[in-house]
Amino acid sequence: MNSAGKKTDSFLTLKGIRTTFGTTVALDNVDFEVKEGEVVCLIGPSGCGKSTLLRTANWLTPPDKGSVILNGSVVGSAPSGRINRTEARKLNSFRSEMGMVFQQFNVWPHLNALENVVRAQLVVAKRSKELAEKKAVQILIDVGLEDKLFEWPDNLSGGQKQRLAIARSLAMDPVVMLLDEPTSALDPELVAEVLDVLKRLTDEGMTMIIVTHELGFAFQVADRVAFMESGKIIEDGSPNVILKNPKTDRLRLFLDKLNTTAFAPS
Amino acid sequence: MSIDFSIFIEYLPFLLVGFWLTIKIVAGALLLGLPFGLVLALGRKSNFFIPRFAATSFIEIFRNTPFIIQVFLFYYVLPFYGIRFPAEYVGTVALAAFGSAYFAEVIRGGIDAVPKGQLESAKAIGMSDWQAMQNIILPQTLPIILPPLTNQTLSLLKESAILSTITVQELTMSGIRVQGETFRPFEVFIMVAILYWALNETIATFMRWLEKRANRERGSNLHATRLKKAKRLETLT
Repeated sequence: MNSAGKKTDSFLTLKGIRTTFGTTVALDNVDFEVKEGEVVCLIGPSGCGKSTLLRTANWLTPPDKGSVILNGSVVGSAPSGRINRTEARKLNSFRSEMGMVFQQFNVWPHLNALENVVRAQLVVAKRSKELAEKKAVQILIDVGLEDKLFEWPDNLSGGQKQRLAIARSLAMDPVVMLLDEPTSALDPELVAEVLDVLKRLTDEGMTMIIVTHELGFAFQVADRVAFMESGKIIEDGSPNVILKNPKTDRLRLFLDKLNTTAFAPS
Repeated sequence: MSIDFSIFIEYLPFLLVGFWLTIKIVAGALLLGLPFGLVLALGRKSNFFIPRFAATSFIEIFRNTPFIIQVFLFYYVLPFYGIRFPAEYVGTVALAAFGSAYFAEVIRGGIDAVPKGQLESAKAIGMSDWQAMQNIILPQTLPIILPPLTNQTLSLLKESAILSTITVQELTMSGIRVQGETFRPFEVFIMVAILYWALNETIATFMRWLEKRANRERGSNLHATRLKKAKRLETLT
């Protein structure tokens, strides 16, 4: 799974995804593909289904219909009954390959920073403690938390917590990263430190899907931007086209609204 | 009514024998009831129907019927099925069963109080339900459930007095017997009350200490631990 050369075939595929919550249709037969090494940003108004789409990728929110394929293997296929033990184990191993980062960080408050990054390596990847700690320290240095190794999450700032959460995912050697509004819960002055880490990941060729409202960031790092509304992907293309020359009125309106507050691509 | 202090001196050793049995019974009931309560709590949270149904039924039956009736059922009905044990053992098991139903609800409440994102992040990184429970959820549950767990333990100790109705020679039964011999209810039962109080106060103090510890662990920056951390850091980097 090297990320050196970008392949042209689809690496992560979501096919015919339909998800409903009660009577609300969150995703309406969505097809979505990501190539290896590609960085895709999902944008759209809140409630449009972009988070649900992201959470479908690692089957955290199983859809009513549709399937997810990672690198040729089926991660999940719906509708399906109760999954058996072998299938559950397979799903867990797929999940460990797909790093997920949450808006609310969800770092584990009862473990210090190092233990946060070590624990899943021991429990899920079955690495030795020595190897896991070595790797954890290296990654924590990479995300700039070298002086916080033994700090409790409660004592970290939001930006530090999010960088810790990213480090925790990276320690599992993911082949794709799923990021659900990674900077939306941060104070404005802390956003940059997290975006810097993500920027570096994209430079290293990591395949990523990022749900974001940071259009400036999306413009800078994304290979593709997809705009969603009402459970559908309305427009999908290069950031240059999507963010500067939107085809639909709806996207133009959405961008105008955000541009007045956050971003003005010149 | 004057107080006859000689009763205290004469009968305290006898009461202490009963007191010791009370301690053993409650300790036994905790030893059985706490792990079983955890099993019940996990059963109630299970995705599968059978364990969920079994655990829920057990909890609801033992929480919603009087303890004394449960004790009678254990003690008088089991022998009909050829199951005969000394009253102390039957009493301990009955107390454990009763206690576990309450412990289960306390533990379940603790599990529910851990934010949902904690389970999600554990599952997203590839942990199984059980691994997530063990590594992420239950450790965070502990500080939450300690205060209500203390309450339940204190109640359980007091409920153990009911075992006197099935001939268990515990503290209350010993008190009743001394009263029968001496006809000095005030001296006898004040002694019994003081012994119960002293034991409960000891337990409560211990649990308060435990709570403080559990809360201090996290977020502590004591000088000694800092030094230890710094030393480990050197070996790692």
